[in-house]
Amino acid sequence: MAEITPAVEIKDLVKDFKTSFKKQMLRAVDGVSIRIMPGEVYGLIGPNGSGKSTTMKALLGLVAPTEGTCAIFGKDSLKVDSRNDVGFLPENPYFYKHLSGAETLRFYGKLCGLKGRVLEDRVGELLAMVDLENARDRRIGGYSKGMLQRIGLAQALVQEPRLVILDEPTAGVDPIGSRQIRDLIFKLRERGITVFLCSHLLEQVQEVCDHVGIIFKGKVVKEGRLEDLIAIEDQTEFIIKDASPELISRINELVATSTGATLVRTGKPRTTLERLFLRETVNREKDS
Amino acid sequence: MSTTAATASRGSHISRILVIARHAFTQLVRMKVFYFLAVFAVIAIGSNFFDLPQHEGPESIGVNVLRSIKSWSLGTMTLFSVVLSIVATALLLPKDVEDRTLYTILAKPVPRIDYLAGKLLGVLMLVFVSLALMDVLMTVVLQIRSTMVLEQQMEMAKSLGWPPEAIESLKAETMVHGPSWSLQGAVFAVFLRASIMASLALLISTFSSSTLFTTIISFLIYFIGHFQADMRDAYLQAGQAGEGVFARLVTLILSLVLPDFQIFNVIDAVIEGQAMPLLVVGKLTLVGLYYALFFTVASWFVFAEKEF
Repeated sequence: MAEITPAVEIKDLVKDFKTSFKKQMLRAVDGVSIRIMPGEVYGLIGPNGSGKSTTMKALLGLVAPTEGTCAIFGKDSLKVDSRNDVGFLPENPYFYKHLSGAETLRFYGKLCGLKGRVLEDRVGELLAMVDLENARDRRIGGYSKGMLQRIGLAQALVQEPRLVILDEPTAGVDPIGSRQIRDLIFKLRERGITVFLCSHLLEQVQEVCDHVGIIFKGKVVKEGRLEDLIAIEDQTEFIIKDASPELISRINELVATSTGATLVRTGKPRTTLERLFLRETVNREKDS
Repeated sequence: MSTTAATASRGSHISRILVIARHAFTQLVRMKVFYFLAVFAVIAIGSNFFDLPQHEGPESIGVNVLRSIKSWSLGTMTLFSVVLSIVATALLLPKDVEDRTLYTILAKPVPRIDYLAGKLLGVLMLVFVSLALMDVLMTVVLQIRSTMVLEQQMEMAKSLGWPPEAIESLKAETMVHGPSWSLQGAVFAVFLRASIMASLALLISTFSSSTLFTTIISFLIYFIGHFQADMRDAYLQAGQAGEGVFARLVTLILSLVLPDFQIFNVIDAVIEGQAMPLLVVGKLTLVGLYYALFFTVASWFVFAEKEF
């Protein structure tokens, strides 16, 4: 069987930057290797300045690797044709304020060679997808932060790329906007689009990603399937609905009498602050 | 491959350059740069009133006004086109970097040369349209005023009893100060000079970190360009300097890299009523194209290696 080409293949990437002082070199990325297979949602997490954005920029050919290689679907990232299959949303993007949402998508679509009916259909489809149909003719200058991120995601998808790279896609976005972007990432996953995102919002990464890499001081210190990385192998969790005090008492007794097992904690599971916020804002509005 | 992806792969250099150029043009237009046309209109109409005291003869009636209209109009065109080409070019690139819109563009299948050429073309389109509009306004004002001047001259010449040949000769002399192909050639020369400046500003903005730096350096080179030929000649004529290989090499490199704007002094001759031969227009075009291409290719070399 033919081997599947990885969507992203970063091999031993090293990136040094010149600092202005005495021409000393600053190593931003130090021997990073990442392999993302088609259809995966990969999250690169790490503190600020750990090399996440530089890794993404190297993958997009915006910076040249000092050592190592980057490839998108087998094509060298430094070659322009590798960008046929990739869409990119940078951190805190500001699009041309004088253009409307539809004009912005048309501009990016034309850059990718789209035109005529195909382009117009694609613009309409993307605006519907990111829920900006009502703002299609409004100038980008008047968009909120969440709307900017969504139009940014739409431009990243304009040429139907097989890989989407998102740099802090929810930075500065309120919980509602953040949820919308998270849902869009789910949609991309359903469509089989590979997503490579970096964020320091760990809860969100945990929700959407199936593979995770942790980068620290330019090095990938941990990488693998999310399920494998976060599972606590020697513990088991039950979540029981409407359990009577008798049932809980019997479970406690059973654990106490069994050899080797220890009850670590019991209690009521808590909702997240995000869910609480959405329930009290968006959902309340829907119900009324 | 989906329909969209298949269409995407057909994008050509030319179409991408045109997309970026049209966008840069729209961006600048929406910055309301055309407001200066109102200022130009005031200058073009105002120059009608710069009439100096005349001699008694009919031959001098109103000619100064015609010269004044041309001089003020072409001077204003030069000022606006040079300022516009430098500032607009210096503004576009750093703004895209600062707003990170450049990332989203270069993350598409857009070669860097297409991006640069598109931005430059957008600025040149703006300069061209601006000059064309100013040219139309100048020509209309000049046409109206030269007709008036001609009528006054004819009236006075007839009242003084000039022979018909002398009247015809006077008419021909006055007509050279009215709208002419040479005047259109002069406007084209203004455009060429602005094109050189725009491509030079593009080169500087590829390695500069601010709009201000690009603007200052571009204006500095613009002024140097007006004295470059004098400095070169003075250097070559000073003692034995002109005879050495090194001196010749230096002057050659200087001429290749720094534009010599003295060759555009033909514009002043047109204001004085002299004709601009087609050969001169051709020479100016070649010089303009050479520097514009030279600076654009140099910009590409710098920009291709630039990291963001």
